[in-house]
Amino acid sequence: MQPVPERISVQTNVLNANQQTALANRELFADRGLLVMNLMSAPGAGKTTLLEATIKALQGHFRLAVIEGDLQTDLDAQRIQALGVRAHQITTGTVCHLDARMVARALDSFPVDDLDLLIIENVGNLICPASFDLGESLRVVVCSVAEGPEKPKKYPVMFNKANVVLINKIDLADASGVDVKELAANVREVSPKAAIFELSSRTGQGMAAWTQWLQQAVEMRALAATVSV
Amino acid sequence: MHEISIAESIVQIAEAKAREQYARSIQVIGLRLGTFTTIVPDALQFAFEIARQGTLARDARLDIEIVPMVVRCVVCEASTQPVRGVCLICEHCGFPLEIVSGEELQIDYIEVDSEKEESPCSQCQNESQSRPMY
Repeated sequence: MQPVPERISVQTNVLNANQQTALANRELFADRGLLVMNLMSAPGAGKTTLLEATIKALQGHFRLAVIEGDLQTDLDAQRIQALGVRAHQITTGTVCHLDARMVARALDSFPVDDLDLLIIENVGNLICPASFDLGESLRVVVCSVAEGPEKPKKYPVMFNKANVVLINKIDLADASGVDVKELAANVREVSPKAAIFELSSRTGQGMAAWTQWLQQAVEMRALAATVSV
Repeated sequence: MHEISIAESIVQIAEAKAREQYARSIQVIGLRLGTFTTIVPDALQFAFEIARQGTLARDARLDIEIVPMVVRCVVCEASTQPVRGVCLICEHCGFPLEIVSGEELQIDYIEVDSEKEESPCSQCQNESQSRPMY
C-alpha cells in the first residue's frame, strides 16, 4: 500500500521557541523593575565606546551590568570591566546574533535582584539581531554618520523595530560628507515612532540629552515595579 | 547566516507536529514568509537542505509562500504596497503607517505520510507493533 500524503495545518511562528524564552526573560525583568536595553548596530558604529560614555554618565546613579555579545574574544567585556562595571561576555562562535536562551543562561552570572539597568550589547550586525527578541524593554540602534545617510533605507527592518536610534559620530559629519539631518530624516521614514538622538560619544556632544532620557527611563521602570507590587 | 537557525526551528516544529500525528515522514513544509523580514528565501532553502538531514523531513520540500508587505495609514486609512524601498510615513497626510502584513514567518502546514504507526491494521483491525516493510 502506497502512503497517501495528508495535509496538517500547523500555524506556528518559526521563532516561537525564542519568543517563549524572551517572554520568560521579560517577566523576570518586569518583576524586578529592571530596565533591559538591547543595543544593536553594524560593526564599527561605535557601540562599545558609546556604551562606555553612557556608563560613565549613569554609574553614580544606578546599579548597572552589561552582557557583551561577540563572535570571538572577551575584549569588549574587558573594556566595560575596566570601568568597574560587571560584564559578562557571550561568545557566539559563528552565530550572528544573540538569542533569548543565551541571555537567560547569562543571567545566572548576575545578581539580577540588585540591578537597575542591564545593557545587552548585541553582535555587530544590522540584519539577524532584528529577528530575535531577547526580552528587552528598549531596542536601541546605533548608526554612525561615517556609514553614510542610506543605512536606514538599506536595513529597514532593524530600524523599524528600534525604540531609540542614536546617530553617532556627528563630529565626523563634515569629514564624511554626510548631512546629519538627511540621515535623521531617513531614520524617521522607516521608524516614525523612534526617539532620535544626534551625538558623538567621543567628543561628548549631544550625550547629555541621551543619558538624561535613559536615566528617566530607568527611574520610571523602577517606579512602575513598585507601584504594581 | 541566521537562516541556519531559522531552518533548524522549521524542521523542529514540523517534526514535533508530525510525531503528534504519528506520521512517518514529512513530504512538504508550507511556510509563509513576509517580505519585511530579514530572511532571504534562497539562503533559507539552502539552509533547509542541511537542517532536514537525519530528520523526518529528510526528503521534504520547503514550499515558501511570499507574503507582500502592506502598510496602512492610521489616520487616512490609505493602504499601499511599498514596491521600492520602505517609507512608513503616509504620502497623503504625513502620519505614521502601520504594517498590516509582510512580517510573517510562520509554518502554515505540513504534508505527511499518513500511514500511522499506531493505527490498527485496515484488514484485520489488529493493533500490531510490527510494521510492514516496504
